[in-house]
Amino acid sequence: MTHDEKLDAAEELMTKIARALVDHPDEVLVEAVEGDEGDDTTVLEMRVAPDDVGKVIGKQGRTVRSMRTILAAVGQGHHLRYELDVVEDEDDENDEEDTDGTTVGGSESTTAG
Amino acid sequence: MPIEDYRAAATTISDFLKLLTTTGGLRLKYRITAGEGAADPDGLEAREIYVEIAGPDAGLVTQRNGELLRALEHVAAKMVRLEPEEHDRISFDSGNFKAMRAREMKMAADAAAERVRRSGAPYSFQPMSSRERRMLHLAFRQFDDLETESSGEGLRRFVVVYRKGDKHVPPAAAPSFQRGGRGGRDSRGGGRGPGRRNDRRGGGRGDRRGPGGPRR
Repeated sequence: MTHDEKLDAAEELMTKIARALVDHPDEVLVEAVEGDEGDDTTVLEMRVAPDDVGKVIGKQGRTVRSMRTILAAVGQGHHLRYELDVVEDEDDENDEEDTDGTTVGGSESTTAG
Repeated sequence: MPIEDYRAAATTISDFLKLLTTTGGLRLKYRITAGEGAADPDGLEAREIYVEIAGPDAGLVTQRNGELLRALEHVAAKMVRLEPEEHDRISFDSGNFKAMRAREMKMAADAAAERVRRSGAPYSFQPMSSRERRMLHLAFRQFDDLETESSGEGLRRFVVVYRKGDKHVPPAAAPSFQRGGRGGRDSRGGGRGPGRRNDRRGGGRGDRRGPGGPRR
């Protein structure tokens, strides 16, 4: 499996899982954004319909955390480190379900690991 | 929403797992049982759909105290559109992991019961998942002189044991419930997010007291 194939697989996996969770599956988009040279972390940016954001994040961030756990397991097999960000459009700041500080959108800058 | 159509739910879960083994590349085998055949013989779980995971990568599922097991369970329950209070209807297990956890939990309950009786002080377990808290509450039903309740919020929610009638006493910090030795390492894979990602972190060993003060 080439590097690009791995990223494609990770994208596809997260897209399909998210599609099964939301009300508007057609609006799910996951894009892999590679880090700088020497940074082995790939960020998967997930975009969903505005009213589906709460669904992919879940109460206290549990759903997005679960997806990250799944992604980490897949990353172990790929020998790659993935991060999953749910990206919200700027005009829709709905973070009411994000009560434990889990990522919602690009405002967050901490990086674990 | 009740699980009215086990077949549809099982298909959804099967598609999910197939996705993990194909696109996800995880080498897992799985068996899904729905309906009466899924019932927990020990009566600890109220499950109606039971998913058993095996295969070369099954170790991934139970490492870090079954973090992936719980993640799969949660996502599967969401895909089937269960309400949060119905999540117990779907249960994933691998290599009897949960049964072993249940046994550990039972032993921890017995030890805590002894301690509360001796000291008279309330005893706080470490934070744990809602399913594990439920197991603890059930385990304490056998003791007429003790009662339990959950305290704390979200990932920090934990069970407190009291002598019957002592509930007004604030819980003493005694995070002494130690997780089993298996897979307890804390090395993280990917993922980001400030702190508190691992709800088991920072636990004391054995009888060690926490940093003091009642936990709230």
